[in-house]
Amino acid sequence: MSHVRSFGTCIPAHHAVSRRGFLSEGAVRAAGAVTVAGCFASDMGQIHALRSEEVASELRNQDKRVILLWLAGGASQFETWDPKPGAKTGGPFRAIQTNATGVHISELLPELSQRMHHTAIIRSLNTKIADHGGGADLVETGRLKDPGILYPDLGAVVARELGRLESKVPDYVSLYTSTEGRRKGTSGFLGARYAPMFLSESMIPLNIARLDAVAEIDHHARAGLREALGRRFAASRRSQTVDSQNSAYQRVQGLMASAELFDITQEPAEVQARYGPTQFGHQCLIARRLIEAGVPFVKVARAWWDSHGQNFETHQELCADLDHSMSVLLDDLEQRGLLKNTLVITLGEFGRTPQINSSLGRDHFASAWSCSLSGLGIRGGVAYGKTDPEGHTVVEGEASAADLFATILAALGIDHKHEYTVGARPVPLADFGSKPILDVLT
Amino acid sequence: MPSNTGIFCRCHCMVVVLCGSNLGSAEDLLPANTEITIAINHYVHQQLVASEVAAVELADDLTLLRRTTLDLGGRVPTPVERDWFISQPASDRRRLLVDRLMQSADFDFHQRNWLDETLLPNHPYNDDFRNYLLTAGQDRRSWDTVFREIMTAAELDGPEKGAGQFLKSRVRQLDDLTNDTAILFFGVNISCAKCHDHPLVPHWKQDHFYGMQAFFQRTYQTRKTSSVAERPFGEVKFANMAGETKTAAFMFLSGEVIADRTPQLTDEERKLLDERVRKLEQDDAEAEVFVPEFRPRDELVTLALHDTKDHFFAKNIINRVWARLLGTGMVNPPDQMHSGNVPSHPQLLEWLTADMVSHGYDLRRLIQGIVLSEAYGRSSRWTSGSEPPSASTFALAQTRPLTPRQLAASLHVVIRSAEQWSAIENTEEWMKQRTDLENLANGWVREFEQPGEYFQVAVDEALFFSNNGRVQDELLRDSDDRLLGQLKKIEVQAQAIEMLWLAVLNRVPHPDELAAATAWLDHVPDKKDESRKQLLWALLAGPEFRFNH
Repeated sequence: MSHVRSFGTCIPAHHAVSRRGFLSEGAVRAAGAVTVAGCFASDMGQIHALRSEEVASELRNQDKRVILLWLAGGASQFETWDPKPGAKTGGPFRAIQTNATGVHISELLPELSQRMHHTAIIRSLNTKIADHGGGADLVETGRLKDPGILYPDLGAVVARELGRLESKVPDYVSLYTSTEGRRKGTSGFLGARYAPMFLSESMIPLNIARLDAVAEIDHHARAGLREALGRRFAASRRSQTVDSQNSAYQRVQGLMASAELFDITQEPAEVQARYGPTQFGHQCLIARRLIEAGVPFVKVARAWWDSHGQNFETHQELCADLDHSMSVLLDDLEQRGLLKNTLVITLGEFGRTPQINSSLGRDHFASAWSCSLSGLGIRGGVAYGKTDPEGHTVVEGEASAADLFATILAALGIDHKHEYTVGARPVPLADFGSKPILDVLT
Repeated sequence: MPSNTGIFCRCHCMVVVLCGSNLGSAEDLLPANTEITIAINHYVHQQLVASEVAAVELADDLTLLRRTTLDLGGRVPTPVERDWFISQPASDRRRLLVDRLMQSADFDFHQRNWLDETLLPNHPYNDDFRNYLLTAGQDRRSWDTVFREIMTAAELDGPEKGAGQFLKSRVRQLDDLTNDTAILFFGVNISCAKCHDHPLVPHWKQDHFYGMQAFFQRTYQTRKTSSVAERPFGEVKFANMAGETKTAAFMFLSGEVIADRTPQLTDEERKLLDERVRKLEQDDAEAEVFVPEFRPRDELVTLALHDTKDHFFAKNIINRVWARLLGTGMVNPPDQMHSGNVPSHPQLLEWLTADMVSHGYDLRRLIQGIVLSEAYGRSSRWTSGSEPPSASTFALAQTRPLTPRQLAASLHVVIRSAEQWSAIENTEEWMKQRTDLENLANGWVREFEQPGEYFQVAVDEALFFSNNGRVQDELLRDSDDRLLGQLKKIEVQAQAIEMLWLAVLNRVPHPDELAAATAWLDHVPDKKDESRKQLLWALLAGPEFRFNH
């Protein structure tokens, strides 16, 4: 215990005991140590390679957060945010008055109707692509795929813009849902540093807990040994890719410490009960816990809204879950003072057709559909844009996926025109020509 | 040396405009009978002299053993191979190593894996396609033959039936089929020319994009047999910037057009054929796939292989093989091969192109030539305080992340005890061992990210190495057949450490590393085996093992 020395890992000081004392300071220097400070120096290098301006620390200090409720498969705008009761395309459900004057939504969302003061609806999305993969690619990244460049999705951009380099929690968490709802998300040219922590198998992230077979002290110590022995190699290569490996290992201990955020049994029983028994409810509660701990972006996917058959029964079931879970989430965020810093988005890859097919279903439709934005930066009680009486086309306020992307960034206070530099190529955060929808912003 | 400037159009396409001078013309090329390696050395050296850049020294032999084995065999060397290598005459070791590796089963496995990762990058591992590529490699099929089989998607029996997977995986997305074919086989990204003529590269017009698309527009997949077939007629129409509707010609990227030789059909005949195709596409009922007389994809292959002006097909594969082995292509990005983006070594690319065409698109010949070159053999170390030379000078070897398969296979090489490996001359036994290794790697590849542009090691990988039970139970097992088991029998710490370094890093430890490792092992003397286990972990999870250098 008397030989404790530091050799530049990011292990908290109280862990620096025993085994880590094995190396003499001289030996460590000889092993190629260039610096013992600046755990994130290499990461900073990577950042600067992408963006030449100074880090926007003020923005990061505002603790802004995003929860994306991803309605995988494509929810019907008729049964959610843009009801058309009485129209031949309208289906069997009524529209109900919300607590925002003049704004009506489907009767399948009664709880949300009383929280419309937090929420702006956009009813005029025209994103054109109506296949699942292509639609999701477009909506998630705010632009068409380009064979020459991999674009990051919204979560990665937000993680990049709002995440803190020194953060011990993940920047971007994507919670799994059943079957077809599993889309991992991509950080594209931003690199793996901003890739989502993707929960594909269970409610707890993979490999986040230490194995019993490895003593805690050994776990810390061998990580330090790994770093020390690798310094000679890394120091003689001017490679950001080599440095990224060390950055990844330096985040391990912090991420392991965040494992408890995924454990909702640590919440009071009353809170658990409020969120209800569904998986979506549980994941909304996890999302709130993550946001509260400083995770900038959490995606909760709810599947499977792809109601080619029995659209109305499907939406009765799924809307009930969405209505309750999202309402509890908004209430919880508000009560904790988090809603003013948290943007909650409900969005899918597209909406559903006005026509009701022979299986009483609605098919894919991307020409006139809806989404909602709540909380941070959003003017509540607004229904923006308009579709025709039967919902076939947008007649007012048409918005593209890029416009929606720009709007979300604007709500977060991020300049959507800001450009990343990828190689020698300038890439604006939101696609060229996009415009934020000012009417839904505060 | 040419300096390039990037210019961008609003749809994000990048054009690199040459600002400097070109080095000579095609007429000045070295004689055709020059050895490939000598030609590479000549042109790279010529460029270094012209740009006044000094190349670093060659890497040491053991570093080259590891690098070459990873690049040709897809894994790190075994102790048996290391002993064999050291026993060879120093003056000829490198050539003998390359010869041996290129004759080994490893080469075909690794070449297959690389082609699979290149041609189906976004698709789950497809056994049929992988088996096809492996068989094609083992049969020493030339690259133009493989291209023809992939493009024509002949439904062959046995292990070759997977040739059609390139088309099948994209058949529902005509734009993807068009773009990916242009990018992966011809090094050309024409997606920007979909909506308008390229604003900055006079070469690329809408006619090129839709001309390429015309070759694939008739392609469809049958429902019953999942075969790729072609409709007997069909055309691509598009609106140009003037709003006029045009019908696309069957036009290759070189601008060459082939006549549409679709037989004239009556309306009634067309209707019947339409119905037949509809049934094949949509019905489960048995139906015989018919092959039209005029097959656009066959025509594309013919045009591409007879492109004597631009040689897109040959240059693309040369550039991709070069980038794979040297970390950076002569044309960068690899999908921007056009008149405005001059290669870093234009004459070398021209010479290699002529060589490839005249030697029947033999990729083995090209690979052998590159790995024996000076540029390939240079050290990747840069210890000077000044900025390292640009990667495109090839004055310094690039440090490259291992692919998931290289990493997975290498992990399973180093954790075994030396006695587990067959003798170097026992090729039959080695084939069995290498196949086992490939199968073992299958179970691990999904844990790691495929390197590409913007690659960074993911925190998921760090968490996997830190906390996954398979790492603990499989990689760090200390049974007799494992490296850790072998180490148990060695009492002298220095010997154990040296064995560990040789096995994992393919070199002996530096004195300070020996001191550090000894301190680590001696610190808890009563837990010697556990300490060695953690030392192995630290090396496996470290950068020197993670990268090819």
